[in-house]
Formats: sequence, C-alpha cells, structure tokens
Amino acid sequence: MSQLAIFVVLLALGYGFGRMAESRHYRSIVEREQRHARISTLTLRTLESEPATVRRTQLVSGNVVISVDYFKRVAAGLRGFFGGNVQAYESLVDRARREAVLRLKESCPGAAHILNLRVETSSIYKGRGNGIGSVEVLAYGTAVYFDVE
Amino acid sequence: MKLKPGIESLDTDNVNVSHTSPLREFAILLVSAFALLALVYVLLGLLIDRAVDWIDPATEKAVFGQLSSALDDGTPPTNAEASLQDLVNRIQQCLDPGYQVEVDLVAESAPNAFALPGGRMIVTQGLIDQMESENGLAFVLAHELGHFANRDHLRGLGRGVVLAALSSIVLGTDSGLDAVFAPASMAGQARFSRERESDADRVSLGALQCHYQHVSGADAFFRALKTAGYGDESEPAYVHFFASHPDVDSRIASLKRLSREAGYASGRERPLPEALQ
Repeated sequence: MSQLAIFVVLLALGYGFGRMAESRHYRSIVEREQRHARISTLTLRTLESEPATVRRTQLVSGNVVISVDYFKRVAAGLRGFFGGNVQAYESLVDRARREAVLRLKESCPGAAHILNLRVETSSIYKGRGNGIGSVEVLAYGTAVYFDVE
Repeated sequence: MKLKPGIESLDTDNVNVSHTSPLREFAILLVSAFALLALVYVLLGLLIDRAVDWIDPATEKAVFGQLSSALDDGTPPTNAEASLQDLVNRIQQCLDPGYQVEVDLVAESAPNAFALPGGRMIVTQGLIDQMESENGLAFVLAHELGHFANRDHLRGLGRGVVLAALSSIVLGTDSGLDAVFAPASMAGQARFSRERESDADRVSLGALQCHYQHVSGADAFFRALKTAGYGDESEPAYVHFFASHPDVDSRIASLKRLSREAGYASGRERPLPEALQ
C-alpha cells in the first residue's frame, strides 16, 4: 500500500509541477515570439534580392534542454504499451523547438533575417534506458545584418 | 520575394500539440492496462487450474519432494510432532490427498498452518497453544489436508509465479508502473484465495464428521482467534478486500450453515493428546 501511496504522490507532484512549468513556459514563448517577430527565420540558403547592403553575416545558435516530468513519463510508459500518439511528449517537443529558435533570435537582436535555419535534436540521454529523459533541441542558422535597418 | 515576418500560431490553434486533457488520456490508458492485465491473469489462472489437475500426487511428490525434505530440520520428531503426525495419519484415512503428508512443528508464536508442495505441512506452536480440544486441532489439520487434496498449494504457487512473471515482463521492474499493479493483482489473488479457503473448510468439516462421527469443536480455532483479537471488526472494509482468508465471523457462520445442511451431528470433544498439552 505504501508503494502505491508513494507512486500516487509522485504522480500528483509531477503533474502539478509539470503543468505549472508548462503553462508558464508557453506564456513566455508566446510573448517573446511576438516581440521577436521582426526577425524572419528562413530555410533558404540565400536571399534572391537584397534590400540593402549586407553588413555582416554570422552563424548563430540556440539550444535548450527540457526534462520530462514524472507524470508524462508514466503516461508515455503506458502509451508505449498500447501504441499510438504520445500526447504527453508533444508539448515538450513543441516547447523545446520554439524555445531554441527564440534563444537563437535573442542572440542576434539586430539581425534582419536568419537564413538556412536548421533544427536538430541532440541526445544527452540516449541509451540511458529508463532514466528520466529530456528533450534537447539545437537550432542554428546564418544571421544576416543589413547596413540600413 | 517580399518577406513578411509573422508569428507562430497561438496556443489554441497550435497543430503540434493535442488539446485533449492529459489526465483523460492517462485515465483511459491506465484503465485499459488494468483490464488487459486482469484478463491475462484470469486466463493464466484458469490454465494453471487445468495444469494442476494433470499433475498427479506421485508426480508432485517427485518434483517437490526435494524442496520439501530440504525444509526438514533433520532433528528426530519430538513427542509433540509424533502426536501431531499420528493425528494427521488418522484424519488421512478420511481425507486422503494421495500421499503421506508429513507434519513439522515450528516454534513460532503466531497461530498458523501451511500446506507446502511435496506433501509437507507446517504447524506453528502458537496454533497448538490456542487449542483446547483435539477436535479443534483436527479441524485445522484437516483444513490443510483439504488444501492438499484440492491441490490448492500448487494453484497458489502457480498464480504467484504468473503474477511475478507478469509484473516483470509486461511492466518491467523499474518502469514505476509495477507499483500500481502490485496491490491490484494482490486483491485478485486474495479473492481467489478466500474461495479456496472456504472450500477447504467444507472438506475439513466432512473429514471431521467421518473421523469423530460429529463436528463439535470445528470452529474452536476461529473462536480462539476472535478471543485473541484477530479479525477485529473495527478494521476498515478494504482490509477484508485484500485479505487472503474470509473473516473469522463469516467462517464460523458458514461452518454452522454447512453442518446444518449436511446434517452433521454434534458430540463430545476429545481432550488434546498429552504430548500437545
């Protein structure tokens, strides 16, 4: 019985803290995305026409590591038994990707465009079996600065 | 190309995440897993019941005899043990599980008796201490003989193995999920166990009538347990749900009902054999 009680408490704590962190993170993401919307992110390697003289180009990157909470881990474990959409992890991937791109933009506030944007996952936890697990995203691209803004 | 910077869609129409409640998904998954596990457990349990019927007593003795004799303490039987063995032998004439059952008396204060695979019965000193008449003791011994005759000790062993295998194979030992399933499967096991106990009580009562020509004193052990404070009614209801044996009161009541239905007689109880007093 005590085993079950510990499990339920961990689950409730995981759910509570996980939801709290997630909703706070989403509020921050939405607010910053609007603030940095001026910098466009493109997958193009070059611009077809340049509105002004290119002053500088620079490789910029943003990375993020977000941990899975206990509740999500158990929910995904159950899902792993039946198969199907792992809904519990969807928001993690979404948050990590958007946060990585935001950090990339925040590293070059004066840039006009990010060219050749790439988003990759790195894997610190790969092969760690049933370790707690996390989502790791790296975004990188070429920041283009124009002479006239 | 003219570039028009835009922002990512807001939360409500984010296509990359599901908008259903995570709790709802979790509940559905958990209930499905429970149902699936229960189904597998019940099916394997039925399979074990079939398999146990194929294992005849001689085979059981051959397979588990080693284990059984490994439990023997090696000391020559004491007077008390010899006296217990004698009582078991006499009852076996009425209730024969198919092989000679050997009794061991262990110095343990909790009143209890076990039936082990291979025909070994363990009786605690605490049980003997609770007894005032031979008939009361005979009922408990016949109850354990009933388990041997019904092959319950093998069924219990088989179900235990299935449970252990299920929780480690399906759920893994470190997934964190086994913590949920262990108590639930325990409850299922307990219900099965209570049915077997009731059946052993019924068989035991028949053996008592056959041996003594009456069933007086059959409920002596349960009455002693009640006096000693076991099976207290103040326990919350869920305790009974998890219990492996029916509660004491209902066992006394069902013994009364059984002996009335079968028309068993009542009579004078015999005192305990001297070596056991």
